[in-house]
Amino acid sequence: MSFRCQQISFRYNKRTPWILEQFSQEFSSGITLIKGASGCGKSTLLRLLAGYLSPQGGVITTPLGGSPRDPEFQRRDLGFVFQQLNLLPLASVLRNLEMAASLAGFSREEVDCRAARYMGLLGLEAYAERRPGALSGGQQQRAAIARALIKEPTVLLLDEPTSGLDDLNTQVISQTLQNYIVGPRVCVICSHDHRLDPIAHEILDFNRFLPLERHLVTLVGATE
Amino acid sequence: MEQPSSWLARIFVGVLLVSVATVILVAFNLLERSVRARLEAFGLNTLIAREMITQQDAELVVAGERGDRFGPLSEMGRKVTLRQLFSRAHTDVQQHMLVMTYAPEAAPQLQPLMGSSNGILCLSESLREDLVFNVTFNRQDTMATVRRPDNFLRPLVQENILLIPQGWAPEAERAGFMETVVFQRDENAPPMAAVVNAINNVYALDRRNAPQLNTPLHLVRELETLQKRQAQWRLLLASLLGLAVALVYGAIAVLEFRQNQYVTALLRSFGTPKVFLYLRHWAENAFLANVAAAAAIFTIASLHGKLFGTLGFPFQIVQPGSANPYLSIEIALILLCVNAGAILSSLPVAFGLRRQVGEILN
Repeated sequence: MSFRCQQISFRYNKRTPWILEQFSQEFSSGITLIKGASGCGKSTLLRLLAGYLSPQGGVITTPLGGSPRDPEFQRRDLGFVFQQLNLLPLASVLRNLEMAASLAGFSREEVDCRAARYMGLLGLEAYAERRPGALSGGQQQRAAIARALIKEPTVLLLDEPTSGLDDLNTQVISQTLQNYIVGPRVCVICSHDHRLDPIAHEILDFNRFLPLERHLVTLVGATE
Repeated sequence: MEQPSSWLARIFVGVLLVSVATVILVAFNLLERSVRARLEAFGLNTLIAREMITQQDAELVVAGERGDRFGPLSEMGRKVTLRQLFSRAHTDVQQHMLVMTYAPEAAPQLQPLMGSSNGILCLSESLREDLVFNVTFNRQDTMATVRRPDNFLRPLVQENILLIPQGWAPEAERAGFMETVVFQRDENAPPMAAVVNAINNVYALDRRNAPQLNTPLHLVRELETLQKRQAQWRLLLASLLGLAVALVYGAIAVLEFRQNQYVTALLRSFGTPKVFLYLRHWAENAFLANVAAAAAIFTIASLHGKLFGTLGFPFQIVQPGSANPYLSIEIALILLCVNAGAILSSLPVAFGLRRQVGEILN
């Protein structure tokens, strides 16, 4: 099972340069870590893989063989952690998790059971009734990951899941991801964080592919 | 996910707008009912012609052999000619009672009212039927019996009328009178307007001033004008209401645009279809608008008697009759426009849903 990008091109509008141009890549099961300079388009690629953006050219095929824009894929098989987390500010942590599971179509009992499991796994039981604004950065990050994991998706996409976190929080997250990504599950993580390197099955240097950063790579090469 | 103040604002504005529109449209409805009631009281096919015959008039004939210009009307319907005298009678029940005389030819028309009376009747809507009372007129004393006017004579009876046979008080008749013809056209007779024209033409040919004609035509015209104006107002008011609801709800939707956009984008990221999110917003707006409209209409309906009584409508008109103004086309139109407004106010959300999730959430 793999996520396949074939010749995809994307830019935000016609007046801006291409962020991805004729980009092809296959993301196999396991954890793939994408590394690259800031603004090189890692997050954009992640949103394309999730179907939250549409490429102007090329085709993206999910591990299930369909398009990532299929709502059914997004509902059941995709877990996404945004860089800015995007937890619902007026809902409690527990409610945030329950909502994600309910939208995935799980029964009330299943939702309760999974919420308890993932709250426990990420050490969030004590904060279940708190609103995200009342949590620390690390707790919010864990809550966002718990929300992505609660539906036990086949594809997990994480955008900078450990940025600005202390070692303990990073370790909890790394451990959780490592335990979760087994079998045919695909996980793509965009991160600068070297502490995640040990859990990656594959590390992708994104600077090599991207038109925006190609000149920077050339510059660095020339200096060396 | 949303602030309750937004719901309250939408309900409050909805109640306010629908209340104003309902009061105005129901008032129009009651106004129309009032004119219709007057029309029914007069009789749609009734004409009353009044012609002054004075002492100096060559046509003053006491005995009744005077030529009848209204003769041809007898073939088109029911007709009776009476003479309203200038002097009034003294009676036990009323000091100055209007007196009218009837010719022998009119007797068949009046026969149903005569019964076992002495031929002297009092047509009254207010006095007790069959009441017999003393009458003094033209230095003669007699008795009169109270009768209710039938539908044919009812338009004539604006007050109590003493009806006596012609020739019973010749001196009073010689002083002049108002010749009064009551005519009720048959359904297949020419239209009332044609009858009025014919009467005016006959008088013009005879070089006499046209008689005073009372017909329901002006009431019909009034009703038609009212209906036409009501239709225009109904449309205008309902459109304005729909527009106001759309603008107010739309403005709230625009103010909440960022919040809604964020929440809907998040829900879309979980795979919720766009159409579902749009329908949810539309259904919420429609629900709030309809709840507000129903609350406003129900409140006004509950206060109907007091409210429209205060606005000057007569008691009989305000009373709920066979036609309930709250189950009328006006109310249906209000609800229709409120719902159209709810759909229009969902457009900012539809516009927001066109943006890709990845452009909204980072």
